[in-house]
Amino acid sequence: MTDLLTPFHYDYMLKAILVSGLIGGVCAFLSCFITLKGWSLMGDALSHAVVPGVSLAWLVGLPFSVGAFVAGILAALSMGWVKRHTRLREDAVIGVIFTSWFALGLLLLSLYPSNLNLRTIIFGNILAISDPDILQVLIISGISILVLTLKWRDLLLYCFDESHARSLGMNTSFLHFLLLSLLAATAVAALQTVGACLVVAMLVTPGATAYLLTDRFGKMLIIATITGLLCGVLGAYGSYFLNGSTGGCIVVLQTLVFLVVLFLAPKHGLLAARRQRRIAAMS
Amino acid sequence: MREISPPLSIEVADVTVAYANGIVALRDASFKLGPGVICALVGVNGSGKSTLFKAIMGFIRPVKGSVRIAGKSVEQARRGKRIAYVPQSEEVDWTFPVNVWDVVMMGRYGHMNFMRLPSATDKRIVAESLDRVGMSDFKERQIGELSGGQKKRVFLARALAQRGSIMLLDEPFTGVDVTTEETIISLLRALRDDGHIILVSTHNLGSVPEFCDHVVLVNRTVLAAGPTDDVFTEKNLTLAFGGVLRQFHFEQSTIQEHDGRTVKLLTDDERPLVFGKDGHLEYKDREGREKLVKEREKEAGK
Repeated sequence: MTDLLTPFHYDYMLKAILVSGLIGGVCAFLSCFITLKGWSLMGDALSHAVVPGVSLAWLVGLPFSVGAFVAGILAALSMGWVKRHTRLREDAVIGVIFTSWFALGLLLLSLYPSNLNLRTIIFGNILAISDPDILQVLIISGISILVLTLKWRDLLLYCFDESHARSLGMNTSFLHFLLLSLLAATAVAALQTVGACLVVAMLVTPGATAYLLTDRFGKMLIIATITGLLCGVLGAYGSYFLNGSTGGCIVVLQTLVFLVVLFLAPKHGLLAARRQRRIAAMS
Repeated sequence: MREISPPLSIEVADVTVAYANGIVALRDASFKLGPGVICALVGVNGSGKSTLFKAIMGFIRPVKGSVRIAGKSVEQARRGKRIAYVPQSEEVDWTFPVNVWDVVMMGRYGHMNFMRLPSATDKRIVAESLDRVGMSDFKERQIGELSGGQKKRVFLARALAQRGSIMLLDEPFTGVDVTTEETIISLLRALRDDGHIILVSTHNLGSVPEFCDHVVLVNRTVLAAGPTDDVFTEKNLTLAFGGVLRQFHFEQSTIQEHDGRTVKLLTDDERPLVFGKDGHLEYKDREGREKLVKEREKEAGK
């Protein structure tokens, strides 16, 4: 029994568990919008595009998250610009722009050696998270949660029916930019926990899981957030016993939950679909 | 002192719209509508109907000309929540996790506070709107689980809940059952009688003379605009549709004596299916072989 409590005796584990839970929850809240807006790829791309920002921030002595956030926003804006002015499809634009930013980041990191470890950026290292970094995560999460709880209905309408939102006089360009900023900010925060490679899982999987469980957006938000939060906490906790990568544990746990839901969801699960087909065949 | 607003009107004056790729979607389009009118916007696909809609809603800025609503700019009209838009079914993501009630409530967003928390009035208006389109029993349904006609009625209810004075409907009769079509038409008539301006984009020609007072014929510009009786003529329609319109001339045999000069015409608005009085299928070149079907039936001993 006391074995199960061991992780809590270590300060670094306690911090890791709490931060993972917080980031897991915030990312999951946002993931509902990301999955419904069809921005899943964008989340992946953004998390890679922040790398040059991290490097440049170190050179000029700014906090990493500021550099990463600015780089992410610039990358997303440049993508929007290229898409508007060419006939290229969105996936091609994402592919070109974001890999370029990532490559630029690699180049900068190799040209100007810093105390930054590329491994840390790509795979995250929550166990070694410093107190200033925790503060950054807390600030980013706090702002994101505040904005989302206040404006989630506007963002929902924007994702569902942009024309209607515009005809009501809402500023849809602002809402677009708001969602993009939230995405970039949470991607930066999640970078610390799971690293650039796995950020997209945090930003998509909980939303995808919740989408299979409900037909109401409000419930989807709640289910996704709880899933993300629990997976963050339990994943970090479990990683102590497995002695494995924390980010890996969190995401594998999220995937397991997703798989269970994919098969067993009462209405939209695979088994339910099969049952309905059987009933339809018998009647 | 309450400002006395000028009577409701839509004034489209010399509007030219060009897209970024240089294509001019609409050139020198002009027409004017007063209060209490149902106006059909008729034209082939790609004739600029949706462009005209977007210009009226202020989504695109004309390179030349202007759109005025009740004498004010489109932006001002939009801020006054005056324009309600009913989208085409194809534009909506039907798998979205919202139910009928949620969608209709979206019509009230413009009237709500910063956090969009619905008041008792909002809820009452949503319930009323659902009732008016006969969808109260379906308010818990996810929108993807509705039939084509029900989907349309939900979005009509949303427009009603918005309480705008101008309603734009994009192809409201596509994929819609007869009951819904009748519901929509009688609703639009009631709104017209309340002084609303209703603009319906359609290529369903048959329904136009039935319920539209005004017609605007569009083909890259406004070809003709005015009361239905004056504008909805064969000559103008040929102009608007060119060779695209399917013409159906009844053969002499269709209206001959032995049929009692009766024709039944069933149409899905694209290609009519024509039966003679005794139930035989009408087809071309039937002349001289009218008795064929009956003789065959006799031979078969029926």
